[in-house]
Amino acid sequence: MTIKDDTLPLHRRRKIEIVMRAEDRALIEDLLRAAGVSGWTMIRDVAGMGHHGFHQGRTIFNDESGLVMFVGVGDEAIIADVASGLSRLFERRPGVTFLSDVEVMRSDYFAPSIGTAGDPSF
Amino acid sequence: MTMIAPIERTDDRLARTQVAGLVALAARTVAPLWPLESAIAVNPLAGFEELPFAQAVAEASKLFGAHRTLPLALWRRLLDNGRIDEAALRDAAIGHLGGIYRAAAPIAPGVTMLDALMARLLVIGRGDRPERRAGLGSDAAFIAKWCGAFFDHGMTAMPLPNRDLGLYRAVLAMAAYDPDYRTLTGARGAALLLSVPRDPLEAISESLASLEAEVDPLAYLSGLVARLPGWAGHIRWRSEHADPDRVADAPATMADLVALWILLARADALSAPLGAPSAGKDRRAALLAHFGLTAKALGPRNAQRLDIVARVDDDRLGALFMTAAERSYANGLIPALQKAARTSNPPARPDAQLVFCIDVRSEPFRRALEAEGNYETFGYAGFFGLPIALHPFAGAHRARLLPVLLSPRHDISERPVPGRESEAEAIADRARGDACTTDLFAAAKAGPATAFAAAEATGPLAAALMLARTFAPHATGRAAAALRTRRQRALAPTGDAREDHASFSLADKIGYASALFRLTGLQPDTARLVVLTGHGASAVNNPYAAALDCGACGGHAGGANARLLAAMLNDEDVRSGLAKEGIAMPGSTYFVAAEHNTTTDEVVIFDVDRIPPTHAADLAALSASLARAAEANRARRALLLGRAPADLLTGAVHWGEVRPEWGLAGNAAFIVGPRDLTRMIDLQGRAFLHSYDWRTDTDGSALATILTAPMVVAQWINCQYLFSTIDNQNYGSGDKVTQNVIGGIGVVQGNGGDLKIGLPRQSLFCDDGLPHHIPQRLLTVVHAPFDRVAALVESSDILRRLFGKGWVQLIVIDPETARARRWREDGADCSEGRSLLAIDC
Repeated sequence: MTIKDDTLPLHRRRKIEIVMRAEDRALIEDLLRAAGVSGWTMIRDVAGMGHHGFHQGRTIFNDESGLVMFVGVGDEAIIADVASGLSRLFERRPGVTFLSDVEVMRSDYFAPSIGTAGDPSF
Repeated sequence: MTMIAPIERTDDRLARTQVAGLVALAARTVAPLWPLESAIAVNPLAGFEELPFAQAVAEASKLFGAHRTLPLALWRRLLDNGRIDEAALRDAAIGHLGGIYRAAAPIAPGVTMLDALMARLLVIGRGDRPERRAGLGSDAAFIAKWCGAFFDHGMTAMPLPNRDLGLYRAVLAMAAYDPDYRTLTGARGAALLLSVPRDPLEAISESLASLEAEVDPLAYLSGLVARLPGWAGHIRWRSEHADPDRVADAPATMADLVALWILLARADALSAPLGAPSAGKDRRAALLAHFGLTAKALGPRNAQRLDIVARVDDDRLGALFMTAAERSYANGLIPALQKAARTSNPPARPDAQLVFCIDVRSEPFRRALEAEGNYETFGYAGFFGLPIALHPFAGAHRARLLPVLLSPRHDISERPVPGRESEAEAIADRARGDACTTDLFAAAKAGPATAFAAAEATGPLAAALMLARTFAPHATGRAAAALRTRRQRALAPTGDAREDHASFSLADKIGYASALFRLTGLQPDTARLVVLTGHGASAVNNPYAAALDCGACGGHAGGANARLLAAMLNDEDVRSGLAKEGIAMPGSTYFVAAEHNTTTDEVVIFDVDRIPPTHAADLAALSASLARAAEANRARRALLLGRAPADLLTGAVHWGEVRPEWGLAGNAAFIVGPRDLTRMIDLQGRAFLHSYDWRTDTDGSALATILTAPMVVAQWINCQYLFSTIDNQNYGSGDKVTQNVIGGIGVVQGNGGDLKIGLPRQSLFCDDGLPHHIPQRLLTVVHAPFDRVAALVESSDILRRLFGKGWVQLIVIDPETARARRWREDGADCSEGRSLLAIDC
């Protein structure tokens, strides 16, 4: 059974997902802050198959080994800014990024294109 | 149809995010620099680890103006002292010339290319090098001065105003009043202060837009970051590793620092970059003279051969010496390990088992203890696998007691031991009182109206204290030790939940407890006593005291971690959980926490009053053995320090002591295997020992953890010692005697300048100038099947880089056959391709 609620307020936003080496985590954080994204999700120990073979996700005593994935949501202009900055990083560091349209319920949680960004506690 | 419009920009300026990306990449030119209170070793060339070792050293030399190797004169002295094998040097020289066939090619009758190169290495030239003038240019001095003011940790009487605006804007606000700025930049600088963007990224973007097209923006920004590697490293620490509450009052990013450099650049006030130091002249004439030859007498082919040798610069000669040092060491160590691998026999059930940190200083102490009785020892990362931060009782800030590779996952409180609450409160009151007195004295000393009065009032007391510290250091030392003992008795770290943080669940405790067994190969049939032994050091009036503590505990002593894990392992619920995982220990086993003082070799046993009476005799016997082992190890270390053993105890409490111990100087190997492999070998305190049993690690996960975490920390330590030795001025911190602590965060030489990023001269060199630490790359030896290690290295970015690029050398000893094979560096000349299986040692 599906439940459809036409009164549910949804807002269109852009989402960016970035997979990079965990040791480059600070590079991404600097970039997100510079774009005005003050809240994001980071998933550690991401595993997967890439150009250089399988990347292990397992790390025990080292947060800087393996891969991490960042997920950020914001207005289109902000996310485009992040992607623009990423293009510089990808010239020197391995990584992949995905951009997509999403709908969110609480728009004030996510980075607006003007002024201060959303609640960092996201 | 594409759903997304391409990202476009219409003006010449880079977007803020693009600049942020470039600045973040440029920031990698320097390594993070931890403050003194938690100083830990970092590879100063960490940002170059993507490059092969030799290339990285060359690139860094250009950027930092640093030397690439020790002066030849010092290498020659190490050879003369027998610390480098001449045969190994000859092998390195033959390798450089392209093999024995080419090396034997004649230059003249009775003179081969090898003879000529050996003469260059051993005899020709004095082998010294011109040292650069110490001190900074006026541009760097200007920025360093403001960094010192901005980052001050409450040491100054009048803090810099506007610190909340960030480094760049705070300095912009003050520069107009700074005569140094006016002298540096003149009228142009004054105009720039009014017109430059207030946002550092915008300021950088504006400047990059005006660069000539052929200038690589990243190289340009990296060059700016590298001009003050100490302050830049401090900013990296603040941005990436500091707790936010420690740095919130003075926000600073690398963009702030770069924007300040760009301000000076736009005012034409930037000095020329340092560039790489000269690596010596062509030695053709010296070679001819040495062998009594004349140029005319040589035919064209022989002259060409002579030129090949003459063009080898001093840096390359130094690199050959380093290779020889590495081979000399490996040639002694590997056959001994192979012999042990063929003949090792596990001991009978020991009277006690002791787990020490992998630190190189543990190895000789373990050997001394093993000689005292039926003891089995293990090596494990000194934080005992607990990713914790400790909130001291009545203390202000938490201490991160874990390697810097990890973030704390548990916040632990130090709390009164039940029944000792009033004693704990008295200790806390005294600590608070001492802090108030210190603050009051500092304020009085710095206040314009009170400075002289404070000196008058406290002078006699200070003089008495100074005399006591100088002539009766043991009395002041005893007082400090008594307070420490009281504190350890009355307070203990507890795994109970704090109000604001989750603490350990039962599953967490079982996981951390089982990791000890899984990673070290400790078997479930444990001895009656198992002692988890952290370590710390004793040093007075020593800014580098934290560097002598446990690196795995973030530059702190490891006792708290040991106490916590011991408590977990004595917990009945944890024991039950371990039994379900197949780790069923005898009920008679009791875990004890201890701390080895690496300066005095004394071992403190914690929580003695909780040890069951049934184990009192075991503990008494062990304590006696520990005391005898301490005496033996002090005698061994005293020889290395050129002092009497009793003098080591004085050095630990004397405020004038510049070398309380050798620390980790001499570190050369990281050995992963059972203690059987090394028990009969005197490793001379040069090896990190991580216990490992390949038979119990069926999926290789324990080995993966050991190589990607403890070994990485060991490599940082090794690189810090290596580079601090080859260029103590640039990569180290110079002479301790002329250092000053600045802002409570680091040391500078003289009265200002850049933060020094490495170790002091006294930690690396003997008083006669000879290096005590031989600069050589870490040799990792793994006792495991070849294919397991090869698969692991191939699947790990970090390991491929460290072994493939030559930052660490890897030798694997097969447990079944005791054959040893070496990992070949990327690009090494071999038709068989890269493989662990291709090179036999």
